[in-house]
Amino acid sequence: MDKTTHFGYKQVAESEKAAKVAEVFHSVAAQYDIMNDLMSAGLHRLWKRFAVAQAGLRPGMRVLDVAGGTADLTRLFLKEVGDTGTVLLTDINFSMLREGRDRMLNVGKMPPTVQCDGERLPFPDNYFDCVSVAFGLRNMTHKDQALAEMHRVLKPGGRLLVLEFSKVWKPLEPAYDLYSFKLLPLMGKLVAQDADSYQYLAESIRMHPGQEELKTLMEAAGFAKVSYHNLTAGVAALHKGFKV
Amino acid sequence: MIPEALIERSLNHLLQQTPGAAEALIRHAGASVRFDLTMAEFDFRIADDGCFSEAAVDVPDAIIRPTPALMARLPFFGHEALRHADYSGDPALLATLDRVFKQLDWDVEADLAPVVGDIAAHRLHALGRDVLAGIAHTAAALGHNASEYVVEEAEMMARAIDVARFNREVDALADDVARLDARLRLLETRQSEQDAQARSA
Repeated sequence: MDKTTHFGYKQVAESEKAAKVAEVFHSVAAQYDIMNDLMSAGLHRLWKRFAVAQAGLRPGMRVLDVAGGTADLTRLFLKEVGDTGTVLLTDINFSMLREGRDRMLNVGKMPPTVQCDGERLPFPDNYFDCVSVAFGLRNMTHKDQALAEMHRVLKPGGRLLVLEFSKVWKPLEPAYDLYSFKLLPLMGKLVAQDADSYQYLAESIRMHPGQEELKTLMEAAGFAKVSYHNLTAGVAALHKGFKV
Repeated sequence: MIPEALIERSLNHLLQQTPGAAEALIRHAGASVRFDLTMAEFDFRIADDGCFSEAAVDVPDAIIRPTPALMARLPFFGHEALRHADYSGDPALLATLDRVFKQLDWDVEADLAPVVGDIAAHRLHALGRDVLAGIAHTAAALGHNASEYVVEEAEMMARAIDVARFNREVDALADDVARLDARLRLLETRQSEQDAQARSA
């Protein structure tokens, strides 16, 4: 029998999760940025800028943006690595990737764009100076395998940045739950005409490992000096680890 | 996480602004440096382009310990203050780091120019430099006034010259006491010899 995994609060066969996640993101791709701004009151832009500031990038470096979707991070990374550097935009979902690629073209940039699974990266070992995954890890079926792949493609000394929703500060939990499970699906319904997908987003955030659990997962995947920084009282957290 | 990234970005920015600085470090590419601030340690590796890159390091090749006193003096004494940091590790790497740190110079005007324009950047830089010089001068004057009050007027503390004179006088007194002690012991010896002779006679 096929192993099961969570899809939001539901249990589904592991083999079905990727298709179900793909369905969600096909559905929200066109409205993804507007919804992100609405959902986070624009904070996701600050979180992403913070993540890029922690990347320690310099001109000429090679960066992999896993689950890069609408290319928010790719655009910021490109400014850091300059014309001599490379940023590879990847996503498993074609609709999201197309949005990202089109957005980059609209600002006159054409980074290499690859549709691929974060759990099976089609890149050589020890290749990137920095790998990032922003709001993508929680949708992956085998997070340990994805982290191991990111570790494999990083050069020794390279760093992984994981920006992801996390466990909010305890006193704020009731307000955050109300927002996530009542307001978020309502906004999804009104703006993106898709309440179910946003219900999934809220549920998947709750099912994602908390700060310490993710840190342990990263250490188990071989990363050293793993640290994290809570953003907006833990609504999101940036984890950073190094390949030694 | 934040201090490391801030130090890394600031150092690399300065390295890139200072001609020859990154190039000097390239020959130490791969070497690791630890900044030990007592309360926290920050590890960096010198990358292939001569810039610092945050890293996980067990045993660094060089350790720099800027003491708290040094950190307090840094804004006023700049490079000179760095001479008082504790250095340990690979001498060749430390010599290069010492030379590079002495060369580092923040070109504030160049950083401001893209934001506010060349002329405004020049004026803001000049204004900032004057304000900082004014603050340093005021702080020095206030410190001098305070020490003068404490020493001369309130007489809560002794002047260095008075302390030195007092020390000299204490040394002279100690010598006098030692001589007197020696004299007394001599007299006591003579007295006991005379007493012994009187008893035997």
